Amino acid sequence: MIAFWIAAAGLSVVTAGLVLRGAAQARAVDDAETRLEPHRRRLAEVERLALDGLLAEDELKAARAEAGRGLLAAADQAESWSRDGAGPRKAAVAAVGLTCASAVGLYLVLGYPGLPDQPFAKRVAAWRAADPATLEPAKIAAVLEGVAAERPNDPEPLVFMAKARAAAGDMAGAEQALRKAVRIAPKRADIWSLLGETFVIQAEGQVGPDAKLAFGQALKVDAADVRARYYLGRARIAEGEVAAGLSDWRGLLASLAPNAQGRESLAAEIAEVEASGKLPGPQPAAESANPEVQGMIAGMVDGLAQRLKQSPDDPDGWVRLVRAYAVLGETAKRDAALATASALFKDQPKVMSALRQAADTPAQAKTTNP
Amino acid sequence: MIVELGAFALILSLMLSVAQTGLSAVGGARRSPVLAGAGQGAAIATFVALLVSFAALIYAFVTSDFSVTNVATNSHTDKPMLYKVAGAWGSHEGSMLLWCVVLTGFGAAMAVFGDSLPPRLRAYAIAVQGALGVMFLAYTVLASNPLARLLEAPIEGKSLNPLLQDWALAFHPPFLYIGYVGFSVVYSLSMAALIEGRIDAAWARWIRPWTLAAWSMLTVGITLGAFWAYYELGWGGWWFWDPVENASFMPWLIGAALLHSAIVTERRGALPGWTAFLALAAYTFSMLGAFLVRSGVLTSVHAFAVDPTRGVLLLIMMGVAAGAGFLLFGLRAPSLNRGGQFRPISRESAIVLNNILLSTATAVVLLGTLYPLIREAMDGEAVSVGAPFFNLTFTPLMILAFAVLPAGPLLAWKRGDAKGVARKLWVVLALAALLGLIAYAVVQPRKALASGGLVVGFWLIGGALLEIAERLKLARAPFAESLRRARGLPRGAWGTTLAHAGLGVFVLGASFETAWRVEAAQALSLNGSQPLGAYTVTLTDVVTIEGPNYLAERGIITVTNKAGAEVCRAQPERRFYPTGAQTTSEVAICAKGLDDIYVVMGERRAGEGGKPAWLVRAYVNPWVRLIFLGPLLMAIGGIVSLSDRRVRLGVGRRTGEVVS
Repeated sequence: MIAFWIAAAGLSVVTAGLVLRGAAQARAVDDAETRLEPHRRRLAEVERLALDGLLAEDELKAARAEAGRGLLAAADQAESWSRDGAGPRKAAVAAVGLTCASAVGLYLVLGYPGLPDQPFAKRVAAWRAADPATLEPAKIAAVLEGVAAERPNDPEPLVFMAKARAAAGDMAGAEQALRKAVRIAPKRADIWSLLGETFVIQAEGQVGPDAKLAFGQALKVDAADVRARYYLGRARIAEGEVAAGLSDWRGLLASLAPNAQGRESLAAEIAEVEASGKLPGPQPAAESANPEVQGMIAGMVDGLAQRLKQSPDDPDGWVRLVRAYAVLGETAKRDAALATASALFKDQPKVMSALRQAADTPAQAKTTNP
Repeated sequence: MIVELGAFALILSLMLSVAQTGLSAVGGARRSPVLAGAGQGAAIATFVALLVSFAALIYAFVTSDFSVTNVATNSHTDKPMLYKVAGAWGSHEGSMLLWCVVLTGFGAAMAVFGDSLPPRLRAYAIAVQGALGVMFLAYTVLASNPLARLLEAPIEGKSLNPLLQDWALAFHPPFLYIGYVGFSVVYSLSMAALIEGRIDAAWARWIRPWTLAAWSMLTVGITLGAFWAYYELGWGGWWFWDPVENASFMPWLIGAALLHSAIVTERRGALPGWTAFLALAAYTFSMLGAFLVRSGVLTSVHAFAVDPTRGVLLLIMMGVAAGAGFLLFGLRAPSLNRGGQFRPISRESAIVLNNILLSTATAVVLLGTLYPLIREAMDGEAVSVGAPFFNLTFTPLMILAFAVLPAGPLLAWKRGDAKGVARKLWVVLALAALLGLIAYAVVQPRKALASGGLVVGFWLIGGALLEIAERLKLARAPFAESLRRARGLPRGAWGTTLAHAGLGVFVLGASFETAWRVEAAQALSLNGSQPLGAYTVTLTDVVTIEGPNYLAERGIITVTNKAGAEVCRAQPERRFYPTGAQTTSEVAICAKGLDDIYVVMGERRAGEGGKPAWLVRAYVNPWVRLIFLGPLLMAIGGIVSLSDRRVRLGVGRRTGEVVS
């Protein structure tokens, strides 16, 4: 804040100096000189052109007469400016003072003198230093982007970055990260199948050609890859090969350990397809594709809510909390937090506006998984 | 701190503009050198403060400081550095700041380089320039602040429209704005002269360099814009009579008229009122452009976001500036000196005709641009006015102007010799007609109108060359004599020749390209091909590539000639920008001399037998390079004229140079 005011004062002094220098350099002028000059130059130019043979005799005569008439008229119009007394100098100094004072006044109304710059690199460094459990997925993704750049041959940061991006709703970003990751580690079936799943989510559940290609690559590397087998079976059912698809799925179910994640939902899906002969309608928003990240978000939001309960005088924290609830689609909690914060900060219009903006944040669609 | 310092500097520059206006106006009225000097100092200080503010905005874009609303809305960490910097003027708010930077820059230039201006005229002009600054800066600070902050910075920015992530467009606005806003100096000098009641030859000489500079930069800006539209939008064309294009074209036309009428006022003292009127109109049309693009009244590929409130404010500002200007003009015009007399056949008359035609053309463009708005306001019907309207109205006016253009510079001032000029020009006309006939006979399919267009182009180039040859007595005097004359010839004369010839070059390109463009569009599977005039276009391969902030399908398209030899390997792209989920086409262009082979690839679709296919549109654009080369020559002509010592302000006095 102090550095800002020093810099602002410095700028004011420099500009004030420029104004006063202009006033100090003022001298009495004879206006006649500037008024006559263009006509004199025109006359000289006409003579030069004539000398070079670029002007005919009659044109020369006419041009001379024209310039001469201009000279006479200009001489009539000339006026002189004499030196000033002390009055104008004082007026100039007063104007400068008033200018700087009014600039500071208006800035105090409109500006945020205490608000520091927030370059992205600096924010990422702060997030990196923070406890990951307190960070939103998008921030984790930004941190991991830096880590990935530092370790260009390691697919792991890219995979985590993709998961964090997916949790933040940035499926295209997740796809981009996974594409890079499979280029680094083409022998990792799990990355190929994750990439395939990203395509499926982007295509709203359809297993398109890109996804099939990715799952195919996954199975080439590891024929037992669960995710790839599940989606390719699903694709067959969707395309009308119900019996073949179901057989793939049954094979997959048989190969899963009894306590494997997703086993139950696969069994339920098989039963549903057996009963109806087709895939069930839109998938219910079941567990997240990345339960660890999803859990982390919930943990973060709860932590923030707890902290604000203890020390509520944190407008930024309330804005964050309201936005987090809005993003998660927890409207009741959002409205409760908004009401509490509004009561606390009703006299601060800037905070109120930020809160309202945060409450309007659209909720993110949840991703589905077998 | 830097961002807030920028915000403070912006407010400081607004207050300094107020001081500039007040000090200069009082200084001028009371003939006080101290107050007028302080006003000049304030003009420089305003510019300095605004530069600090603009640098702070660029800093915020470069460092991706998303606590600045403008950065959060228009940038993204993945964006390449050039477009981060260009993002500073890619948005409405940033572009208004750039407008203010240029406006105050010209005010400072008058303060620094205006020593040869009479002190009162200079003081009033700086005051008027300051008043324009107050209006635009107040708008920027209060209604469109580019450095407004967010209490909570978002994690990522929302990026800039991918269509705008292009080098031509990164540089297009600065040139355009130097052009638009350059006319503000001409406006201010006219207002100052009208307040004084003196519009004379000397005044015309003072406005010439500013007009030339503004018009030349506007020419470059418009050409860059047209070039961008040509290779970025992927429609194969370069001018669409889009309202936003028209918005920049109107001040250009008026500026061209002003350049010519100012010569008459300077040389003969004639047409002072008309020249002052055009000077006021040029900046009014610039402001109209700013209003049309930003108000949301127009829907256009390059219009900024719809915002009626800001539109109303801009309309009020335009009304105040134009209203004050034309009111003062109305009060003063009857008392202006009528200046030198001239005959109907004279250089003055030719320029008057040029002015009438250019002004009428501007009115036509204005009508075509505003008519859809008027119609919609009246009966709610959405109509669009496009090329057919302009071809029927604008083009004939221009052809008439081009028909008389070569005669203008050959006519003497005051009293011209029509027969003498006709005797000189008939050779040019015959030659142009012959070339047109050859084109008609040789180029297939035969097109009479387009061949006529070529005649006009050759006529303009030939006329410009003949004029300079006449001045040098080329082939009529010994070569050494011609060389001596060439050295003695003012640069302004060379500038005129370049600009007029450039216009001819443009007409050649426009006529040829429009009439003889070859187009082919077909969905092609891999290794599929289609004919394109004398060429065959084959889709050899499609690869996926990853750019810095996009994914793309790149087509490898081979263009072969009749003998089967490869003449071009085009690589158009279909890009997907995940941020904002936008898809764009990247055109591939192979330059073949003056022609372009222009290839665009559409998105993947199912072709025959379920095989993937891509819509490949290809064009052969003959002589299209001339369309961009012509205006470039015109701009260079303007700059060459600007370097003429006759128009450089104050140089003679400052350096002690004597005009020999």
